[in-house]
Formats: sequence, C-alpha cells, structure tokens
Amino acid sequence: MSTSTERTAVDSSISHKVSIPYRQDLPPAGGFAELKYKRNLPNKGPGSVVFLLGVGALSAFGFWRLGKSNQEKVELEREKIWSRIHLVPLLLAEGDRAAYNARQVDLAAERAIMKDVHGWEAGKSVYNNPKYESPRIELR
Amino acid sequence: MSDSTPVDASSVPKVEEIGATSGPLASASFFIGAHCKDYNEDFMLCKEENRDPAHCLKEGRKVTRCAFDLLAKMRDNCGKQFEEHWSCLEKNNHHYYSCRKPETALNSCMFEKMGLLKTIPGTPQGQKPIHERTDTIIRNVQK
Repeated sequence: MSTSTERTAVDSSISHKVSIPYRQDLPPAGGFAELKYKRNLPNKGPGSVVFLLGVGALSAFGFWRLGKSNQEKVELEREKIWSRIHLVPLLLAEGDRAAYNARQVDLAAERAIMKDVHGWEAGKSVYNNPKYESPRIELR
Repeated sequence: MSDSTPVDASSVPKVEEIGATSGPLASASFFIGAHCKDYNEDFMLCKEENRDPAHCLKEGRKVTRCAFDLLAKMRDNCGKQFEEHWSCLEKNNHHYYSCRKPETALNSCMFEKMGLLKTIPGTPQGQKPIHERTDTIIRNVQK
C-alpha cells in the first residue's frame, strides 16, 4: 500500500510539470487600444457669449423696470401729498375752533381765579410781542 | 377734542363739524380741493397773516361748511361709488394705487354729475396722471 501512494505522488508531480506549456505574456496582435486619458467634455448648449449677453439683457430689462417703478413711486407720492394738502384747511379750521374754545374756557377760569387781584389781565402774554404763541400751560 | 363749554357761545356762530373719518376724507380730498378751492385758499392766506386760532374763525367756518356741503352732494350723487372707494381705501392702508377700479368709477361719476375733476398738480408734461394709468408696475400683489 505504501509503495502505491509514493508512485502516485511522483506521477502527479511529473504530469504537473509537463501539462503547462511555456507562454510569454505579450500585447495583443496590433497592440493595445489607445488609452483615453484626455478630458472628453463635449460643448453642449449655448456658449459663454450667449450667457453673458442673456444675463446682460435680463439685467438691463430689470433695471429699466426698476427705473419705471421709481418714477411711478414719485407720482404716487405726489398724489398722496396733494390729497393731504387739500385736507389741511379743513382739519386746521376744525382744530382752530377747538383751540379757540379751549382758550376761552381757560381765560374764563383765569378771570375767576384772579378776580381779586387788582390790575390782572387774563391771558396777557409775558412777552411784549404781538405775535401769536400757542399756550404753554394747561389749566385743566 | 372739541370743548362743549364755550364761554360766549353767542358770539361764535355754530358750525357742524365734518365728522368724516380718514377713509372718506382721503377718497373725497381731491374733490374737496376742486370744489372748495376759493374758501381753502382764502383760509390759508388768512392763516399766513396770523397763526392765532381766533384770527381765521370766519374763514374756517366757510371751509368746513363747503366741505360738508360737498360730502352731502357726493353722497347724494355718487353715494354708491363713494362708499365703494372709501371702503376699499380702508381695506388697503389708504393706498390709492390699490383702489383704482372704484376710483375710476367715482371720478367719472363725479365729473358727470358735478363737473369735478381730479387733477394732481405737478404731473410732468405730456405724461398721463398716475390715477389714469392702467399699465402701472406698482400694483396690488394680491388680487
């Protein structure tokens, strides 16, 4: 039994050496295909000039519109200002009447309070100036 | 604001105060300016003479009566358009540009019935006044 196992091992070693033929590893016939190492980014879509002009045109349109709306704003402001100017006399007249009434009430109160003081002039200004001055003291 | 206890009520003729709030006044202001131009200018010239409230009471009463009269006439002639415009102004922060539709209706009604025209002084020559333009850029974003 022992001999048979030896033979098999020897045979197998011999057959192994024989079965592989020698072969040099070489490039394929006609050489390798060329390596694509260069960047390959084909130009797609519009170019830079088109983009520049496009963005420029868009910006120009936007600024033109902005200018227009600024002019409109000026006119709207003018409208608002004039609507208030037309109301000034009306509101001022009403306020004047209220101020006049309040002043008369104040003067009556002052006269009543100072009736015992000889030579007291109710509502007389402390300044020697005929120009109107709105009252600085609230009596009520 | 007004005091109910004037001392010598007999010397000052009574005048009914206008009583309108900001919306109707804003809506009617250009017509007040057109209708009461003479009284308004008279009053302002008087105020320029003297700022004393007692100085221009007479002119002031005329101003208030004129405006009161105008508001009454507006309500009689163009009541619906007037109310539509001022309620629109109330809803839109008193921006005239938000209420051009009711304003156009009110303006045309006022011109037809009372001959009053809204003009904005100082509009550049050869340019349509802003309230008559329809192609404006500034307008309400929300419909």
